[in-house]
Amino acid sequence: MITVSSLTKSRAHVRVLEEVSLAGAEGTVTALVGPSGSGKSTLLRCLNGLETFDAGSITVAGHRLEPGPHSPGLLERLRRDVGMVFQQFNLFAHLSAVDNVALAPRVVLGMSVDESRVRGLDLLDRVGLRSFANARPATLSGGQQQRVAIARALAMRPRVMLFDEPTSALDPAMTAEVMDVIVELAQAGQTMVVVTHDHGFARRAATRVVELEAGRIARQGAAADVL
Amino acid sequence: MKCLLCAVLLVPALTSATVAADLDKVVSRGELVWAADQEGGGPHVFPDPADPRQLTGFEVDLAALVAEELGVKARFQQGQWDRLPLLLGGTADCVINGIELTPDRQRDYHCSRPYFAYSLQLLARRDGPIDTLAKLASPGPGGRWRVGVLTGSAAESVMRSRTDLEIDVIGYDGTIDSLEQVSTGVLDAAVMDDCIFTFYADRFRRLRTVERPFEGGFYTILTARDTPQLSAAIDAAIGRLIADGRLKALYDHWDLAGRQQMLLLRDAAEIPVARRKSLGELCRDTLPLLLKAAGMTILLSCLAFPLAVGIGLAVAVGRMHGPAWLRPLLTGYVEVLRGTPLMLQLYAIFFLLPKIGLALPALVAAIVGLALNYSAYESEIYRAGLKAVPPGQFEASLALGLSKWQALRHVLVPQAVRIVMPPVTSDFIALFKDTSVCSAITIVELTKRYSVLALSTGRIVELAIVTALLYLCMSWPLALLSRWFERRLERPAGGSMAEG
Ligand SMILES: Nc1ncnc2c1ncn2[C@@H]1O[C@H](COP(=O)(O)OP(=O)(O)O)[C@@H](O)[C@H]1O
Ligand SMILES: [Mg+2]
Repeated sequence: MITVSSLTKSRAHVRVLEEVSLAGAEGTVTALVGPSGSGKSTLLRCLNGLETFDAGSITVAGHRLEPGPHSPGLLERLRRDVGMVFQQFNLFAHLSAVDNVALAPRVVLGMSVDESRVRGLDLLDRVGLRSFANARPATLSGGQQQRVAIARALAMRPRVMLFDEPTSALDPAMTAEVMDVIVELAQAGQTMVVVTHDHGFARRAATRVVELEAGRIARQGAAADVL
Repeated sequence: MKCLLCAVLLVPALTSATVAADLDKVVSRGELVWAADQEGGGPHVFPDPADPRQLTGFEVDLAALVAEELGVKARFQQGQWDRLPLLLGGTADCVINGIELTPDRQRDYHCSRPYFAYSLQLLARRDGPIDTLAKLASPGPGGRWRVGVLTGSAAESVMRSRTDLEIDVIGYDGTIDSLEQVSTGVLDAAVMDDCIFTFYADRFRRLRTVERPFEGGFYTILTARDTPQLSAAIDAAIGRLIADGRLKALYDHWDLAGRQQMLLLRDAAEIPVARRKSLGELCRDTLPLLLKAAGMTILLSCLAFPLAVGIGLAVAVGRMHGPAWLRPLLTGYVEVLRGTPLMLQLYAIFFLLPKIGLALPALVAAIVGLALNYSAYESEIYRAGLKAVPPGQFEASLALGLSKWQALRHVLVPQAVRIVMPPVTSDFIALFKDTSVCSAITIVELTKRYSVLALSTGRIVELAIVTALLYLCMSWPLALLSRWFERRLERPAGGSMAEG
């Protein structure tokens, strides 16, 4: 489902990623750990084409990314199959919770307003927020916002989900409610890559743990071995 | 608004004897300040073609002769023709500029004895259908005939009073603007003092005089009512110039048929003085016209502003996300429109486009001009608004599989639009007031209507107050709306709003 081979990326003459290779089979959970600035976010953002890279290649959900210009529409097609959840939630500020979730199915998949709304409500139900369907993001707590953001990413039925420190901006109580949702997803067989500092979560849910250090893979293996 | 204020400020000058310069002040100053409009002003007052820094014209010579009779020098003061009388008392001692002797002017100013006899001439294209004045009595192929006149002139009031003719009378700020418009086919005909067309005939070879002049009257020198000695001195000066033949010589020098002028002046009829209207009559006669003009102001704003916003948004998006070759072009568009006056842009659209075969009706030209001008400002506002949307919103859209344009349309632009609501609303108020500039291209909106009515009724103050109130009634709700948007932005919005 995910194959990264010899990925190398520089930013202003600084190597951010060097010869990174890893693989994630369907239904596995890969935890990306490592100190701050080690390149975890950069690697994750390469996986859905938000960042470009200099050498190596990526295959994710059947789409292949290489350095240099992409064929038109490749990124859009890839991103339909690869959802992402950000540390800062990035919910659409002008839309209600349900409209946040329903937007991409309607705009990208061409669903009708009613159809996309039904899907939105279902997903809000799944993250326990159906009663907040009409609330604006600004009126929700951080934990609630992140759960809406997860529902929003799931609305495209992605084959792979990427999480970039999904709980770092949350207090412990809210961290738990978001982590529960992610663990549930993992148990349901969703393929995912999760950047996290939470070793408890890695032990509980991760199939594999990959540790980055200064842009290189320091260690990888089963959670019990790496951590 | 601006000339409203001027008018209000000028009123004390018109009414208080302490400000107006009577003869002794003129003499001690050594200068007679005379006001006229040099724009398209031949043969009266115009820049000398040989040296455009110098003014020439028969009234320049007349002013010099009159000043000489008073024992002083003449000094010229430029003003917009239909508002020249407002300069009296404060800025100028007298107005010498083809001002026709009318009952209204007799009531509001001191009018000197006539110094020139004019006749009104109908003008049309040589190849056009109008060959008699009577032709105008039945509609033309395009409906009512469009006839241009100088705003505030006798030609205007005569043509407007001709209810027997199937014509729309359109007022211009410059004497020869209407000749241009007849040449390019925007107008069917023009009416003006015969001596003006005689003077400019070579420049407008496609035009011809239609029949003989059909009506006429006299030019007078205007002075303020509270400078009786100056007025008397000017009357006496004209009398001496006629008696000793200097005025005849002056007209002969300008090819204005001096002997015939002297015969006509000898028979100058007494013009009656118009009655001052009561306040009730004033309201009855002017309010409907002012309200209609306010309607024009609203129409212009409400059509031009949405256009400006639409174009502005497109330009902003193009400058930030469009193809590389387009960006400098759009930047140029914005800078040219922001860097040149609205008045000039309106002129270009209305007077220059017809020369390349694109004649827009005045209302369309006004709306297009306002919309283009304001689109430059709106695009800058939207650019700032788009920049103010957090970058995470764009990334989140892309990560969901939206294309750049889908992200713009469904996420970035809707948020930017909300962010810039307050400045955009206050720009609407600004545009609303800027509609008054459109009077330069014959649109009669509220300010123009005020200025015309104030001059014809002599009730400058009363009408200024009414007009200002009308403007306030219209802009106040907009100001409230702007504040409401601001408050709405400050508190987090609740409730669902299905978008798209
Ligand atoms: N937008 C950026 N511009 C320049 N350098 C960046 C940018 N984002 C991250 N970096 C640098 O790239 C390196 C890797 O960053 P990142 O992938 O964010 O690390 P992590 O997520 O592991 O904390 C760091 O040295 C960081 O300073
Ligand atoms: Mg990071």
